Amino acid sequence: MKLELCDVEKSFGDKRVLQGVSFTVQSGRAFGLLGRNGAGKTTCIRILMQVFGADGGQVLLNGEPLSRSRATFGYLPEERGLYPKKRVAEQLAYFAELKGLPHKAAVAAVANWLARLGMSDAANKRLDTLSKGNQQKVQLVTALAHNPDVVILDEPFSGLDPVNALLLKEVVQEQIAQDKLVLFSSHQMNTIEEFCDSIAILNGGRAVLCGDLREIKRGYPRDRLAVTTEDPAPLLRDFGDAATKTRRGEVILRLDDPGEKQAVMRRLAEQYDIDGVRVLEPTLSDIFVEYAGEEA
Amino acid sequence: MKQFGKIFQFELRGILKNKVFLGVTLFLVVAIGVVMFLPNLSALFQTGGEEEQTSAGELPVLALSLPEGELGDRLTPVFAAAFADYAVTPLPGGARAVEQAVAKGEADCGFAVQTDRSYTYYVTDLALTDDNPDRADAALEEAYRLTALTQSGLSPEQAADILAARAEHTVVTLGKDQMQNFFYTYLMIFALYMVILLYGQMVATNVAVEKSSRAMEVLITSAKPVAMMFGKVFASCTAGLIQLAAVFGSAMLFYQLNESAWAGNGLVAAFFHIPVGLFVYLLVFFLFGFLIYAFLYGAIGSTASKLEDINTSVMPVTFLFIIAFFVVVFSMTSGNVDNLLMKICSFVPFTSPMAMFTRICMSAVPWYEIALSLALLAVGVAAVGWVSAKIYRVGVLLYGTKPTLRTLAAALKRK
Repeated sequence: MKLELCDVEKSFGDKRVLQGVSFTVQSGRAFGLLGRNGAGKTTCIRILMQVFGADGGQVLLNGEPLSRSRATFGYLPEERGLYPKKRVAEQLAYFAELKGLPHKAAVAAVANWLARLGMSDAANKRLDTLSKGNQQKVQLVTALAHNPDVVILDEPFSGLDPVNALLLKEVVQEQIAQDKLVLFSSHQMNTIEEFCDSIAILNGGRAVLCGDLREIKRGYPRDRLAVTTEDPAPLLRDFGDAATKTRRGEVILRLDDPGEKQAVMRRLAEQYDIDGVRVLEPTLSDIFVEYAGEEA
Repeated sequence: MKQFGKIFQFELRGILKNKVFLGVTLFLVVAIGVVMFLPNLSALFQTGGEEEQTSAGELPVLALSLPEGELGDRLTPVFAAAFADYAVTPLPGGARAVEQAVAKGEADCGFAVQTDRSYTYYVTDLALTDDNPDRADAALEEAYRLTALTQSGLSPEQAADILAARAEHTVVTLGKDQMQNFFYTYLMIFALYMVILLYGQMVATNVAVEKSSRAMEVLITSAKPVAMMFGKVFASCTAGLIQLAAVFGSAMLFYQLNESAWAGNGLVAAFFHIPVGLFVYLLVFFLFGFLIYAFLYGAIGSTASKLEDINTSVMPVTFLFIIAFFVVVFSMTSGNVDNLLMKICSFVPFTSPMAMFTRICMSAVPWYEIALSLALLAVGVAAVGWVSAKIYRVGVLLYGTKPTLRTLAAALKRK
């Protein structure tokens, strides 16, 4: 499956929220939608989920206009919330039925998911009696119980403890492995880097960067070396302003010419007491700050 | 349609399981049961009391002080006849003696008669139902007139015939009997008023709760806003109907069990013999009236970000409804339900459910006026439903700032 946003425009009143946004999400490959607050991520997601239409452009699924009958969506919103006073299994089955599952199938799917997440004993409890982390997991079930074709996860790891975060990572990996379209929206760059093969960065309603994350990184000049050493002093002394020490103890060397890196690596191995050296790629955080740091 | 069905079921189940809903319905049914069984219960108590009195051979004591001489002799049998259910005990010593006898508890009540047309009545606690002064008035007035007539030359028999003369009359009602219909019309209008107001507010509150708890975030991506709104409104409407059916149905059942005990009460009997046609009108006007207001309440609920905003947001709609209620009630009590204001209100969709229904109950309304009113109401419901669904679609997505009228107008134009 392939989901495409092509030149999508959207305005609310006089405010142009999306100005010709285009990106493509492929099944089996997680996609990261990045941007600062107000960049247009939620509007993109709502257009994808057909909460409202775009003013211009197209949303295509496998080359044809998207409709709710052609694909099912699972959505974990950033603003979590369900019915606090209702029982967990009852409301989860309701949401699964709303998304098209027959009653019996919905009840069975909910029971399976609660068991999968270790929450079977919470099925008949009221939502507001559960801990925040467990409420998060209940919310995740609303997104996945109906086995959707497209999974949209908005800040999925926020508020989860490390154990639950690990559990969620496993679940997300399963969804990707099942050849689903998985779209992440998050400010946690390490999460995006861990899961996503391709990204789009929105800024001021435009997609300012879009494509395969590895290729994006490769497009940056490979002019920095990260050196691991127990004794950074000689390096800092010899390389002067071109060397900086990180908090983790690594020394970063910035090269005037990327073509010199083989020669410099040999010299480092021969003349200094180092434990290792690698070419330093830009982090997603660096890329994000570069593209989304300034409001468009 | 499938989503509408799911939402309808979920919402209806939620209301029917609600403890407040169950409690209020049960309370109303029990309260009506107590009222409907009251005559039989009180008869049971009274019967016991009478037996007690008879066995003791005691009647309540009425102390009587009359002027001495001819007047006293003449009035003694008059009081004895008028108060046959009392042990009438003449007391010498005038008003003071009567007052003391009542104060000490030697007599239950007492009369100190000064002249043939004036007296003082003494009683410890004046009961709401104490008609002794009225009985004394009637007895003294009749005695006075009889004396006057015999003194002017008529025989006592002729005078008694004149005083006993009564006019006979027959009333033929060609339209509606307002005296009979007032009570049940008022009850039905009041039920309509309460149910629409309570359940309408409930729709608004439910929408606001979904928004404030952020359940809306999942809902709007799972179902179409129109299905969400219509599912909620129709579920509330059905719950309202179920509650009305439970209350009126149990009242009907209790009445039938106690029909003989209520036979003497024309108002109650009239209520339980309402023509079936009026019930059909009640149902139709309830449905339309409920829908038009519930749609408005739903739309308003969608524009509120916090639950606390609801009370102020719904105020204009609530006022509109209260005004309609007062127009109807004032017209009913004035006796003219066909006044110009009521006629106008009968065709305005927001007021016609109560105004036209009242006119149908209490006056003769031509069929074409009823048809026109219902047609306008149906169109009004459809239009308000359409507008409300558009507002709802925009309202549920907006948090923080309340949408302005301009935003809402723009939403109506949007496809």
